[in-house]
Amino acid sequence: MSTTGRQVLRRSIAGQRRSVALAALLTAGHQGGEALVPVVIGVVIDQAVANGSVSTLLLWLAVLGVLFAALSTSYRLGARFGERAAERAAHDLRLDLARRVLHPGGVADSGTLAGELVSIATSDAKRVGTVNGVLPFGVAGLAGLLVSAVALLTMSLPLGLLVLLGTPPMLYLAHLIGKPLERRSEAEQERSAFASGIATDLVAGLRVLKGIGAERAAVDRYRRTSQDSLRATLRAARAQAWHNGALLALTGIFIAVVALVGGNLAAAGDISVGDLVAAVGLAQYLITPFSIFSWVNGELAQGRASAARIADVLDAPPAVAAGDATLPSPAAGHVKLSALSRGALRDVAFEARPGELLGVVATDPAAATDLLDCLGRAADPAGGSVSVDAVDLSTVDPGRVREVVLVAAHDADLFAGTVAENVTAGPLAAEAMAAAAVDEVASALPDGAATAVTERGRSLSGGQRQRVALARALAADAPVLVLHDPTTAVDTVTEARIAAGLAELRRGRTTILVTTSPALLAAADRVVLLDDGCVAGEGSHAELAGRPDYRAAVLA
Amino acid sequence: MTRELLPVAGGRRIRAVVGELAGRQKGRAAAAFTTLVAATAIGLLTAPLLGRVVDLVATRRPAAELVTPVVGLVLVAVAQAVATAIGVSLVARLGETILAELRERFVERALGLPLEQLERAGSGDLTARVTNDVSVVAEGVRSALPELGRSVLTVVLTFGALAVLDWRFLPAALLAVPIQLWTVRWYVPRAKPLYAAQREAVGAQQQQLLDTVGGAKTVRAFRLADTHLARVRERSGAAVSLALRGIRLVTRFYARLNLAEFVGLSAVLATGFLLVGTDAVTVGVATAAALYFHSLFGPITTALSLVDDAQAATASLARLIGVADLPAEASPAQPARPVDSSVKTAGLGYSYVDGHPVLRDVDLGVAPGERVALVGASGAGKTTLAKLIAGIHRPATGSVAVGGVSLDELGPDGTRRTVGLISQEVHVFAGPLAEDLRLARPSASDAELRAALAKVGALTWVGSLPSGLATVVGDGGHQLTVTQAQQLALARLVLADPPIAILDEATAEAGSAGSRVLESAAAAALEGRTALVVAHRLTQAAASDRIVVLDAGAVAETGTHDDLVAAGGRYAKLWAAWSGQRP
Repeated sequence: MSTTGRQVLRRSIAGQRRSVALAALLTAGHQGGEALVPVVIGVVIDQAVANGSVSTLLLWLAVLGVLFAALSTSYRLGARFGERAAERAAHDLRLDLARRVLHPGGVADSGTLAGELVSIATSDAKRVGTVNGVLPFGVAGLAGLLVSAVALLTMSLPLGLLVLLGTPPMLYLAHLIGKPLERRSEAEQERSAFASGIATDLVAGLRVLKGIGAERAAVDRYRRTSQDSLRATLRAARAQAWHNGALLALTGIFIAVVALVGGNLAAAGDISVGDLVAAVGLAQYLITPFSIFSWVNGELAQGRASAARIADVLDAPPAVAAGDATLPSPAAGHVKLSALSRGALRDVAFEARPGELLGVVATDPAAATDLLDCLGRAADPAGGSVSVDAVDLSTVDPGRVREVVLVAAHDADLFAGTVAENVTAGPLAAEAMAAAAVDEVASALPDGAATAVTERGRSLSGGQRQRVALARALAADAPVLVLHDPTTAVDTVTEARIAAGLAELRRGRTTILVTTSPALLAAADRVVLLDDGCVAGEGSHAELAGRPDYRAAVLA
Repeated sequence: MTRELLPVAGGRRIRAVVGELAGRQKGRAAAAFTTLVAATAIGLLTAPLLGRVVDLVATRRPAAELVTPVVGLVLVAVAQAVATAIGVSLVARLGETILAELRERFVERALGLPLEQLERAGSGDLTARVTNDVSVVAEGVRSALPELGRSVLTVVLTFGALAVLDWRFLPAALLAVPIQLWTVRWYVPRAKPLYAAQREAVGAQQQQLLDTVGGAKTVRAFRLADTHLARVRERSGAAVSLALRGIRLVTRFYARLNLAEFVGLSAVLATGFLLVGTDAVTVGVATAAALYFHSLFGPITTALSLVDDAQAATASLARLIGVADLPAEASPAQPARPVDSSVKTAGLGYSYVDGHPVLRDVDLGVAPGERVALVGASGAGKTTLAKLIAGIHRPATGSVAVGGVSLDELGPDGTRRTVGLISQEVHVFAGPLAEDLRLARPSASDAELRAALAKVGALTWVGSLPSGLATVVGDGGHQLTVTQAQQLALARLVLADPPIAILDEATAEAGSAGSRVLESAAAAALEGRTALVVAHRLTQAAASDRIVVLDAGAVAETGTHDDLVAAGGRYAKLWAAWSGQRP
């Protein structure tokens, strides 16, 4: 079943329909009340002030009090229901998105960048949720318009028609005047945003600047950008100011016309003085509902666009289908690739025997990635098969595959928590920390292994992060562990120590090391060389070290 | 390392700096204020003119007399619009000019900060200031400040106008003020912590989504989906419940303001009633007074609800001025000039935390033109040694001399001209590629840029970029590969042309093919320079004139590749493992 943006939006509204409906009702009450305030002022002037009747004054002041109490309460409750509907809908969408992204089947054609997905789960979910908070205002604007229309038309048909029919063209005129200005201002605001982007960028590259003594050149460059941006911003601000001025002038002129027509009608005795006051007040008020409509319209457009982006994520087909074959438990960990083809891999066949530490050298990085995808069933082979203990992985549920085969990617992320918490999810935490030389990492951190990891591990240096990630992978004690370039950011001395520790810890468990690091390959029982996506050689690191193609890939 | 955040300016200093900046624009400030006062004053004529219409009707004058006040209304509308447009433009010019000056000062100081101070503060502190605080202040200057100014002006002048109609309207209208003040006093202390908590919760939620969604592959591989979903639910739920608490508080704030509106409006109407009863004012005047007060609802609400924004902007301003006020790095009155391109350290020691030295008693001499490789485990002190020689950290004990002159005598500018450092941070500056390179030598011609790129083997791929040297690269532009970005860093070094170069790049991240490209690029870039290379791959070490092996902050071995391999020590063992030859 495919999901469209429209369905996402509709479901999000329907999911909170009670709150949305209550918010609409109450906000409408509020807008209607606001519209009635000038009407009641007119009545007070007309009935009480002009006639000098104390009891009438008190009566109408009491009415005014009730009106205020009603509009205030409606706003209070309406805004709360609206916000609740918006926030809860966004919350539900965030969870739906997270659930979809984490689905074991993965996402086919995952062209969407992680950053983009996060922005969809935050901003777009919020935008769609906001529609729930905005809709009640649309309804309320309509109610305000209706109340004003009834009030105006009952006091005088021509005056009512003038105000009601005059407001939209007036606002449209203001829109026309403002349009070219607004377009210009948008373009220039973009340029001004550029200046702050440059500043952030220079600060981010501060160490690089310092390294080559380029601070002064950078400051000069920033000054130029800042001054350009200042000029652009000023042009934009001026355009905006004149646009607002145009709206102000048009509104004022419109009210003058209403006063003229209303005054004439009142002079002719067709309407009362109070009606005149109210008509002028309503002419002023009516700008509110109309500007609400254009605001609601804009938010709806944004909400629709966001809903479409969310639908794209929710609707993306999984990369691999579910399966119902079972893997033996406990698994022996016999991995066998038969005539495997996918992406850069062509007809690859090799095996990792139970308990073996197998090195795989791929001259083409794409071939390494494709191999990892097939081993962890993040993708199914285009031809041939991958089997573990003689069970074809493409027939096993991806969640179950990962209980047996753990693929630790080169760029694996760490998660919020301490260094220790990132590792201790697995049963072999202490041994793994020692094998991956995390003890050295911990001794260099302010709070040792209890140091908090933030920004997905970016708070650690590359080498530190890699070692913690490696420890986590080792600690899981998976029957088959696939490691991809686990030590690229680790110095040679430590790398040699890790190679020994890793081999020791994984003794008796199948481990596949996809790497070009000579230190790790030297520790492997056997190495397979993949050149141009095909198996080109096999042997120990020392044996292969004599081959020129192997030397070029590993030792150059 | 203990965190030592960058300074924050106090209230007095903020006022002084803003005063000084505004003082330079005195004429503009006066013009802006006068025009806005005029605009608001003209706008206030609307109500009495409408009152006049009411009076004419109430006293049954001929309809033709209505034309005068109506024409007046049209004139007022146009004049007010023009004056407002000019006034708002002037305010924008004033605010934006001050803002531009402030942000330029800020960036200048920020880029001039000694890295040591920056590292103590954590780079997040400065980044947060340059992104969030600059935009919060800009937002304040752009929308909150003009709106607040206009609202306050409208409120003040409207009260004045009420008094002009009849002074007795004023006390009636002022009845609303105590309720409003009480509302603000009630609101602010409640709102501040709540908003802070809300920002924190939204930040935590964002961070969790980054963790979970950004790390989805890892979550799937380790089968952590349930834990992560629970965390997302918890963080998002916390943000939602705080948002709902926020809206409850805000709506209670507005409800109290509604009460103030009602009290004031009733008082003004009742006053009108009494005054009309004693014939002190006409019905039209009473109408005008009521309309005046009704027209105050908007501006008062706006002004009071901007209290939050104003507070946020002031807090951000304090953080910007705190940095902008920092003293520049001290440099000697008469900086010495380097006499050669040698490097010499004597008894060098350094520690980030007292009692935990990372370098101990390092004596190292590099002859002009020599290339030395540093080898050692992480934590052995390689990067620290590089930073001390480049003058980024100051030694705790011992001394560093480059070009035959001590760093102190050379001064910060002289040091940077003499020693170039390419560190592990890879950064491509956003903008055209040529601009990125010109940071290293602003006067460089296109031909010189091309020559530098050719030297590091980057000209081929630069030539095939969509617009060659003019291609926009970096954040939001054409994405360069890690190898290309590092070649760019080497090209910058060639352009900056320091006699001494220190390389501490992470070549291994580029993969083995990329490493080879980078190693030959580095060799070309280092030609004719004294070089200290932190070797991440042993082939780099093997190709240098001399190798220094560091262990736990001290020099463990030193010699040529062949000497060290023959000696059978630490380095020899590493080399054996690396090259696949059993010792």
